Amino acid sequence: MTEVERHNYDVVVIGAGGAGLRAAIEARQRGLTTAVICKSLFGKAHTVMAEGGCAASMGNVNSNDSWQVHFRDTMRGGKFLNNWRMAELHAKEAPDRVWELETYGALFDRTEDGRISQRNFGGHTYPRLAHVGDRTGLELIRTMQQKIVSLQQEDKAEFGDYEAKLKVFQECTITELLKDDSGAISGAFGYWRESGRFVLFETGAVIMATGGIGKSFQVTSNSWEYTGDGHALAARTGASLINMEFVQFHPTGMVWPPSVKGILVTEGVRGDGGVLKNSEGKRFMFDYVPDVFKGQYAETEEEADRWYTDPDNNRRTPDLLPRDEVARAINTEVKEGRGSPHGGVYLDIASRMPDEEIKRRLPSMYHQFKELADVDITAEPMEVGPTCHYVMGGIEVDPDTGESTVPGLFAAGECSGGMHGSNRLGGNSLSDLLVFGRRAGLGAANYVESLERKPVVLQSDIDAAARSAVSPFEPAEGEGARENPYTLQHELQQTMNDLVGIIRTADEIERALGRLAEIRSRVRNVVVEGHRQFNPGWHLAIDLRNMMVVSEAVAKAALLRTESRGGHTRDDFPMLDSDWRNRLLSCRVSGEDQVVPDVVVEPKEQVPMRQDLLELFELSELEKYYTEAELTTHPAAQGDTA
Amino acid sequence: MTAVMDNTAPTSAEIPAPDGSVTVTVKILRFNPEVDSEPHWESYDVPALPTDRVLNLLINIKGYVDGTLSFRRSCAHGICGSDAMQINGINRLACKVLVKDLLAKKGKPTTISVAPIKGLPVMKDLYVDMEPFFEAFRAVKPFLITYGNEPTNERIQSPADRERFDDTTKCILCACCTTSCPVFWSDGSYFGPAAIVNAHRFIFDSRDEGAEERLDILNDAEGVWRCRTTFNCTDACPRGIQVTKAIQEVKRALLFKRV
Repeated sequence: MTEVERHNYDVVVIGAGGAGLRAAIEARQRGLTTAVICKSLFGKAHTVMAEGGCAASMGNVNSNDSWQVHFRDTMRGGKFLNNWRMAELHAKEAPDRVWELETYGALFDRTEDGRISQRNFGGHTYPRLAHVGDRTGLELIRTMQQKIVSLQQEDKAEFGDYEAKLKVFQECTITELLKDDSGAISGAFGYWRESGRFVLFETGAVIMATGGIGKSFQVTSNSWEYTGDGHALAARTGASLINMEFVQFHPTGMVWPPSVKGILVTEGVRGDGGVLKNSEGKRFMFDYVPDVFKGQYAETEEEADRWYTDPDNNRRTPDLLPRDEVARAINTEVKEGRGSPHGGVYLDIASRMPDEEIKRRLPSMYHQFKELADVDITAEPMEVGPTCHYVMGGIEVDPDTGESTVPGLFAAGECSGGMHGSNRLGGNSLSDLLVFGRRAGLGAANYVESLERKPVVLQSDIDAAARSAVSPFEPAEGEGARENPYTLQHELQQTMNDLVGIIRTADEIERALGRLAEIRSRVRNVVVEGHRQFNPGWHLAIDLRNMMVVSEAVAKAALLRTESRGGHTRDDFPMLDSDWRNRLLSCRVSGEDQVVPDVVVEPKEQVPMRQDLLELFELSELEKYYTEAELTTHPAAQGDTA
Repeated sequence: MTAVMDNTAPTSAEIPAPDGSVTVTVKILRFNPEVDSEPHWESYDVPALPTDRVLNLLINIKGYVDGTLSFRRSCAHGICGSDAMQINGINRLACKVLVKDLLAKKGKPTTISVAPIKGLPVMKDLYVDMEPFFEAFRAVKPFLITYGNEPTNERIQSPADRERFDDTTKCILCACCTTSCPVFWSDGSYFGPAAIVNAHRFIFDSRDEGAEERLDILNDAEGVWRCRTTFNCTDACPRGIQVTKAIQEVKRALLFKRV
């Protein structure tokens, strides 16, 4: 029988980024005992890397803004594949979540009259992003960390124990979710990274908030934690993943020096006036406004420049098109020989505003380039290029409660899918975390309270989970060379980067699937040395299994979707196809292999958008995305036939 | 047996050596609690580009030479504050130190020493137990304290009021400052610079009404008066926060009862 440390909680949150902490605060405020589990130290989550801001239509800078405008921008950004109910809830609730964060103590840059200031960003019609310089994510995490400290001090006063209601288990990795005999969540099994000792959380509800999958790609702005743990754990527990083919490549990552390739350059540089130029000095984005956005963006440099000061009478610069458009444009410029010396393009803010203004508005960017690339962004342009940044796909959830297709399993934030459709707008991630973190916390609380009895963990499941976790220490008998987890991780990243990256073809994706199959057969032969105590090689061997599952889901879904939309560009199917708009690709695991199971992909239809939301759009715009048959209920269409 | 012994450098033939790279020796203070009674130095000759960060060298050693080398890292560009360590004796974030700034002059061989930050218990290699550090952080009530009704929307704060405490909001809780402080080394019960910085962040926030409670805490025997103004903390801060100045402002607030 496995020796295991046991804990018992009403709700267990996996992940301590923005979504996880917001969910935990909600569950605790409902009076439930709540555990937060994270791989890193508390407060170091990936959310800290978000720079630009948190989108919410508060209208503090431009009072024309409203939830309807935010909703429309989000749907356009996602090319109308978004789960419209999630986009609706998000647009409606984001302002309240930002104001609430302010009452928790969050710092924000302010308008002259002392309200929360808002900045322009790609795809957002009005200045909408609440921000703190270029360190908004850091402040968001810090604020929720502070809120949790304050709740724990309240609990100390009331119950005599700081951790009576809410406890953070840091540097702890979950390797399995457990279910009872009815198929509902009963617990989570994992290990302490420090000691390697096993730990079991018995709980009726698990909230996944583990973030993304970017570490499956070689060039990425994501940190080591982003190995798709939540995606893979949920899938292995029976949940479905949707939209996995949509991976966002942020247009502006650092391209040089090699050691920092992929690190993010905030979109705030462009929001505040920075422009993209090719090696000929041309502002090339004017050549890349796609048909669906024609008429919404400036057509001359003069108009674009006037827009910063007079947005009511001018259209915005195409430098601020949604991220998928800008990333593809940069890719094309470089491919056609108009790139910068290190294979990117130029991002110029130096010639656009005074030195002091740049340092005041973008201090982190100034230091990042000065310290890491020896480039003074107040004097010379930056070199930038696309970097894997965000996965739109994730665990399929109920929009209102965050519950997945497995009873008791909830998800929020990047590891959930649907909200952003085929492409996320910048700034919509931090607001997503707050809106759906809270909703998942509430959903899990309601679920737990409705349970008649707490699900029971089976001893046989604990034993199996423990066996699976230590298997990399025990080399399989027989054929096959012993594999190093770092080598396999590297090959996996290279494969995804080269063959399932920003531009895809059927031929390349099929080659990727071949290579993935080969890597999968070698994952079984991964051997790690040493003991379980703080053994990074072992940790990677376990993460690698998750990376395999999500990479296969991305590649298989990408092969099936024979069109180009948002974060999925097929060179062999370059057009948006209206017949694909409403079709989701749902990934599930199958097969015998418990460690790295097979992924199967099936199409499914989305629920049609509610009539009142559909009517928020002009018929002429919807016609660019929808089939004719889908639009017969639009009043303008009915007018035509009358 | 003494703690320090220099092992012969293991081969590092497998680490890819790109054009323009030079070989540097990375000397790491290793400690494995399962077998070692004390920490010891181990050296690794590795290829390095001048533009590499020390973190890249550590990741290469871990990936190619010794998979058991343990250290914290996360965002890898100076925002999360996970990889604080002593690099050539100075507290730095490994992701922000470039090899070119450490290369020996005139082509002489370069040795880079890497050790855990000082004053916190070492758990393994470069991992230290951060709990005492976070305990001090929590002790200063690092959260907004207000009384009365909450506003419907946001509290109003002028740009000038917001600017007043901007510097101390940049803290990333990396512990570079606290573990560079001689007072903290000699007596771990001192709150340390980072906790005071985080108290300052709220004491000087115009929205906050808990200044008095926090000042009482910092007036304690383990509080601000232990500071000997050596400026180590200010030098160590990877975010450029004027840490010593913040501590002085808290002292002044205590002396004159006003913020």
